[in-house]
Amino acid sequence: MSAVLEIENLSVRSGETLLVSNLDLTIGENARVGLIGESGSGKSLTALAATGLLPPGLTATGSVVLDGTEVIGARDADLVPLRGSAVATVFQEPLTALDPLMRMGSQIYQPVLRRRRRAGEPAARADIEAEVRRLLERVALPDPDRIANAYPFEVSGGQRQRVAIAMALACHPKLLIADEPTTALDVTTQAEVLDLMAGLVREEGMALLFIGHDLPVVARIVDDVTVMRRGEVVERGPVGTVLARPEHDYTRTLVAAADAFDRALGAAR
Amino acid sequence: MSLISVENVDFAYARDQQVLDGVSFSVRSGTNVGLVGESGSGKSTILKLLLGLARPSSGAIRFEGETFDARDRTFMRRYRQSVQAVFQDPYSSLDPRQKVEDIVAEPLRSLRIPGDHKRAIRAALHDVGLPEDAVSRYPHEFSGGQRQRIAIARAIVARPKLILADEAVSALDLSTRIRIVELLKTLSDAMTILLVSHDLGVVAALCEEIIILERGKIVESGKTRDILAAPQHPYTRKLLASVPRMPA
Amino acid sequence: MTAVAATEPRRMRASLTLSVGIVLVGLHVVVALLTLVWTPYDPAGMAGGRLEGPSLAHWAGTDRLGRDLFTQIMIGSRIALTVGAGAVGIGALIGVTLGILAAFATRFLDDVLAAAFDILIAFPTLLLAMLVVAATDSASLFSAILALGLAISAIVGRLTRILAKRVLEMDYITAARTAGTSWAGIVFIHLLPNIWPTLLVNFALQFGLAVIAEASLSYLGLGAPPPNASWGRLLQEAQGTVYTAPFGAIAPGLALVTLVIGMNMLADGLRDIGDPTRRRSR
Ligand SMILES: Nc1ncnc2c1ncn2[C@@H]1O[C@H](COP(=O)(O)OP(=O)(O)OP(=O)(O)O)[C@@H](O)[C@H]1O
Ligand SMILES: Nc1ncnc2c1ncn2[C@@H]1O[C@H](COP(=O)(O)OP(=O)(O)OP(=O)(O)O)[C@@H](O)[C@H]1O
Ligand SMILES: [Mg+2]
Ligand SMILES: [Mg+2]
Repeated sequence: MSAVLEIENLSVRSGETLLVSNLDLTIGENARVGLIGESGSGKSLTALAATGLLPPGLTATGSVVLDGTEVIGARDADLVPLRGSAVATVFQEPLTALDPLMRMGSQIYQPVLRRRRRAGEPAARADIEAEVRRLLERVALPDPDRIANAYPFEVSGGQRQRVAIAMALACHPKLLIADEPTTALDVTTQAEVLDLMAGLVREEGMALLFIGHDLPVVARIVDDVTVMRRGEVVERGPVGTVLARPEHDYTRTLVAAADAFDRALGAAR
Repeated sequence: MSLISVENVDFAYARDQQVLDGVSFSVRSGTNVGLVGESGSGKSTILKLLLGLARPSSGAIRFEGETFDARDRTFMRRYRQSVQAVFQDPYSSLDPRQKVEDIVAEPLRSLRIPGDHKRAIRAALHDVGLPEDAVSRYPHEFSGGQRQRIAIARAIVARPKLILADEAVSALDLSTRIRIVELLKTLSDAMTILLVSHDLGVVAALCEEIIILERGKIVESGKTRDILAAPQHPYTRKLLASVPRMPA
Repeated sequence: MTAVAATEPRRMRASLTLSVGIVLVGLHVVVALLTLVWTPYDPAGMAGGRLEGPSLAHWAGTDRLGRDLFTQIMIGSRIALTVGAGAVGIGALIGVTLGILAAFATRFLDDVLAAAFDILIAFPTLLLAMLVVAATDSASLFSAILALGLAISAIVGRLTRILAKRVLEMDYITAARTAGTSWAGIVFIHLLPNIWPTLLVNFALQFGLAVIAEASLSYLGLGAPPPNASWGRLLQEAQGTVYTAPFGAIAPGLALVTLVIGMNMLADGLRDIGDPTRRRSR
């Protein structure tokens, strides 16, 4: 089985400071991998490095092969065709991923149009608009017509996050990177959206890199998990094994913390 | 006496689309309240009204017994000093062109609060667990969770009476979340927190009282302990049932 | 397989851009200031033979009347800088103010201002200049600057309005309001610093366009009258003799190009060092 994403010995630096060090991560076709770790451990930077989108001022070394193309050191122009077709990202910040002055329906329209043209599917206006609507419905948005006509600041935080997810799903990429995509969602909506993602990933044969800090959430959607701390991988393995028998101290504290919240809820119950 | 009380408030962004419908509740000094509800149920809208960023179409909001009036300058000054907010999105809530120290100093400067600002800033950053050298850095150099802590530091720096927190901890990983919840708990000796959250675990850990909102209406409210133990409303039951649990 | 991302050269390029910009624009500024106190020859007087080529005595040759071209080009620097700075200054002042006003305004006022910008942008600059001349009752450098400034103010106004609206939607503006920051504070502390870099680059572009536009205005007699001629006039005068004395056209053209390019590089460089996300931390 070939890999969609193959990261070898990746390090990210800001000047002298090492932010991610010697990270290896391979995601095979159809694989669902979770990346967890505390705030600031380098999860988002890893995702950005994987798509060649590191902010200026940061340098990456090592090797990142995305769908057969070496990302590190590549010219941005060579990476543009990959984005959207090989990889799509749901960014951690839903507001900055959306254009505040553009109706959200039109923002999803573009990736759908591009994908259909690429795939040689019918790209008539009505077809695309129907698909945009379907996507909005699938991410559990009530009243999709109003949302499609609204600007990003005219909807709630969770609604915005779901539009961002719909935008990434519209691309049908080989690899979907989701950086904490459900942090702004309440538990009932979150459950719906996670199920949707899991379903689509399976149906479309996408691979998934799911970044999160909420262990039960991550456990629900991935098969394998990689645990990061201070820019380094401390543990990896099948999600059941890692959560049931954490080896590293840090993973143990993570699991204990999740259990503690479960208990707080249980005690109150 | 209640710190803030919301009395029979209605609100709509557009004429045909009621967002809040007869919402009434009050927050007593020293009792943290959790505001829970589905995405789009109107939680952030309630905070918007409480911050004076929009006006209810009917009903009233009172602060320490006084009716909220955005045109009354002396009232607003006292109000701004007493009520601070933390927002949902840690990316857009920090000005990308300001250094962390200027971001955190904003309430102190804008409200012309006397005292040693530098020290207050350092103390606030220390409280939220950010290193001292954070002051001279810019927001883009921090991760999502770290940015949220900067936002919390800004909210607590002027030592307000009430903090309105909109999903303030959902961007944080568990260990940091526990630290921040502990921190908020410590702080709540001196300030009261109205926490909007979809995370029932966090609400259970931090808030004595809980309000459940469904499509702009309060469907259940009372002691967190009681409600989580014996939820009455079907929506509350559904909410509790869908909490993701650790796989056994 | 190892490779290094190309962020390091990018920064070096930024500072190189800035340095070249400073040198080019600085040169013109120095020359312009110098002409206030000294020029190699009397700009109006005959200094040598007619249509002489470049020599040690006349670096850029002489014109049809035997006047030193290099002297005229130096004076042209002063006029170009005056026109560019004046027009962009007027345009920026009016445009930024109205643009911000529109972004803050009620729906109605916003629509009115937006429409006003669009109409003014569609209006030919030439016609505008003729109207201004008619209104001020004299064809002077000032009327040209005023006309260009008005044209620029519409472009800047439209840009400012869009940029400001984008920033005003951000939560940090809400955070500032709830922290008790006044509207003036929001404009000066949050809004302007965030839209400034994009505006700056636009100003440089408008500066170049203004200098070029002034050239065509003066050809039509709507700009600076002789003997303090602008590069545009020098170019026009050289038109008839471009085959016999090409240097008369090449020299002012070169001066124009260096100033316009220098101004754009300066703005690009300034934007990059002013942007914390492009600057190295510590
Ligand atoms: N542009 C930058 N310049 C300098 N340092 C940065 C930059 N971006 C991120 N960092 C630092 O790199 C580290 C890793 O950041 P990253 O955003 O990958 O964390 P994360 O694991 O995604 O955390 P979170 O869960 O809070 O989003 C952090 O310590 C952060 O401060
Ligand atoms: N500026 C606006 N104009 C029009 N409708 C709006 C505006 N802001 C919010 N809404 C709508 O009002 C409803 C309530 O939104 P609100 O932001 O209060 O939800 P919320 O409970 O905070 O949800 P979330 O948990 O997703 O943040 C939503 O349906 C939303 O789409
Ligand atoms: Mg992150
Ligand atoms: Mg909200």
